[in-house]
Amino acid sequence: MRWALGLALAGALLAAPLVAGRYELSVLILVFQFVLMGQAWNLMMGYAGQLSLGHALYVGLGAYVPALLWLHFGVSPLLGVFAGMAAAMLAGAAIGWLGLRFGIEGVYFALLTIAFAEITRVAFDHLPVTGGAGGLFLPVTPEGRAAWWMLDGGPVFFYYVTLALAAGATGVVAWLARSRMGFLWRAVRDDPVAAEALGVNLFRARMQAILVSSAMASVAGVVVAFYYRNLFPSQVFDMSRSIELILAPIIGGLGTVLGPVVGAALLTPAGEALAALVHRAGLDAPGVKAVAYGLLLIAVIWVRPSGIWPWLARRLGVS
Amino acid sequence: MGGISRRGLAAGAAVLAMPAIVRAQPAVLKVGLLLPRSGYLAQAGQSCHRGALVAPRVLADFGMRIEIIDVDFESNVDMARTQAERVINAGAHCIVGPFESGAALAIAQVTEQRKIPFVVNIGAAPQITEQGYQYLVRNFPTGGQLVTNGLALIKDLLAATGAQPKTAVFVHANDTFGTAQRGAMDALYPRAGLPIELLDRIAYDPKAQDLSVEVTKIRALNPDVLLVVTRSADAIKLFRDMVRQRFTPKAIISPGSPGMYDEEFYQALGPLADFAITNLPWANFNAPMTKALEAAYTPANPRYRFAAECFNAGFTFEALLVAADAHKRAGTTDGETLMRAVKATNLAEHVMTGGPIAFDAKGQNPNIVSASVQNRNRTPTVVLPASAATAAPVLPMPGWQGRT
Repeated sequence: MRWALGLALAGALLAAPLVAGRYELSVLILVFQFVLMGQAWNLMMGYAGQLSLGHALYVGLGAYVPALLWLHFGVSPLLGVFAGMAAAMLAGAAIGWLGLRFGIEGVYFALLTIAFAEITRVAFDHLPVTGGAGGLFLPVTPEGRAAWWMLDGGPVFFYYVTLALAAGATGVVAWLARSRMGFLWRAVRDDPVAAEALGVNLFRARMQAILVSSAMASVAGVVVAFYYRNLFPSQVFDMSRSIELILAPIIGGLGTVLGPVVGAALLTPAGEALAALVHRAGLDAPGVKAVAYGLLLIAVIWVRPSGIWPWLARRLGVS
Repeated sequence: MGGISRRGLAAGAAVLAMPAIVRAQPAVLKVGLLLPRSGYLAQAGQSCHRGALVAPRVLADFGMRIEIIDVDFESNVDMARTQAERVINAGAHCIVGPFESGAALAIAQVTEQRKIPFVVNIGAAPQITEQGYQYLVRNFPTGGQLVTNGLALIKDLLAATGAQPKTAVFVHANDTFGTAQRGAMDALYPRAGLPIELLDRIAYDPKAQDLSVEVTKIRALNPDVLLVVTRSADAIKLFRDMVRQRFTPKAIISPGSPGMYDEEFYQALGPLADFAITNLPWANFNAPMTKALEAAYTPANPRYRFAAECFNAGFTFEALLVAADAHKRAGTTDGETLMRAVKATNLAEHVMTGGPIAFDAKGQNPNIVSASVQNRNRTPTVVLPASAATAAPVLPMPGWQGRT
């Protein structure tokens, strides 16, 4: 039954461009982006218990590095993505080393992640090679002449790219959750003292989570760079992006494989539907989506504090 | 009697011809208006929106019919692209907006792919018109043009008033816009040929509680002119600290930035807001279309003064005007034909300062000029160029004491 449901969903997603218009596809691209970023954050917070409020740093580095390599050296983003991952992992390692070596935990660790993202934003604002505060612009190619290996294409192309990345990230999280590493992360999250007493190397376990999470978040950055084709430090590294990307896993269910998927699938389409309804009703209510997100977040924390997916899974009888 | 009468034939012909007649009448132009009406750019987005809301009525008086489809992109580039798709699905024949360069480039990819004209109202990044887009035009100067025009006007101000300042300090917010303007100043000031030595450049955090440290530094340098690139709240803090530290330069001039003409600036500072000068494109209050826009704007927005809002409202109205005029000439809402008409725009009668609205091969309007806008009696007042001026410039500015 579960397999049949999964196959039907996969088939529907693969066939979606045949029936969905460009607008619907662009909404789905946003959903997949949030799944990818949400899964990255979920690994670090949901599984390893490390609160990061500066994940925009990894997304930003993953966006800028491949974009710069492509602009200045013609390197395909399919290769540049690995350089972006390396840069994000380096930044993650620096944060992790500082935090873990000096015992910075909880909200103080979160402050450290914010500080790094802010420092990077200010630095990129002043780096001429990145375009500084004035932004970095990737040239555009007319549709039909775009090259897929340069990650250039229309909505259908990006639909499949983001679908593959979101599915891949979910698969990786599912695999990690069942791996030895995943169990170590949960042990460290739930009771670090007990885990350490049992011989778990806290530093290594937490650092592994930070590195995997930063690498995964940086992949989302490549999509941000090559789909929108312009980057501004004030937008890419902004605190609001860090907050935006944690909403899906919190609403969907932290520390679960499908939580970020459910959260993203609910939030973005619900926001769009609400905006459309408000428009159809002839009301002028800018910012209604932000208010709705806030209310939804409050409602979920109040009614389903562990997120929607654990409750839904119980109702559906799936683990 | 059983044959077909001439009257019957005429009626039949009329019925057959009707679809052609209906087709020939240009349908109303649906314009997708994408603005950041929530999020961190909400204040400016809403200001643009107020100008757009009165546009259909004003344009109707000039024989142009448009219908606006409003969309808020939440000051979020990701959302801008999705909302562009949405508004086109909702029937928009043309897109106007979005006040922000990153969003403009995100929307441009959609309009290019869907062959829908896109008229940029405000967005200063030069790259917007350097990417080879075929369905995009911009009726707004680039950041470099803003600073170049702003510095040129300082020369004109000196000539008009006979003031002879010798030194200046450049103070700017260290945010995205301020840092970009600093880059433009560094590149363009040495070439501007101004007889004023630039003593220093001082960056500040616009979110700082006060700017007393920066003002102390400025005071130590004692420049004749303070060149500023500010936002709204920090402009207020800068002025308050100057008054507190009793530092009165001969002139405070912005070579192209917001802050000193915002309504909250006047409300917070009262008479201390007067005599500050901002050089940027402004509404030409001598133009008949500006008068028509103001006449419609004032009763529709009783809480807002057109004189203080005309920058955002004026450029947004002009972008709608470009679309409506093209539609009127093209007689169709077909994207390709409409775009050809947009590119052939030549509007002598419009709202903002400068020559006719027309676009070069890249889609940029090169005819926009800046005006010197001096605060007088808490109202932004055009003092240069003479063709648009409603008062004469005052330099050096009076001291802080004794102002009423």
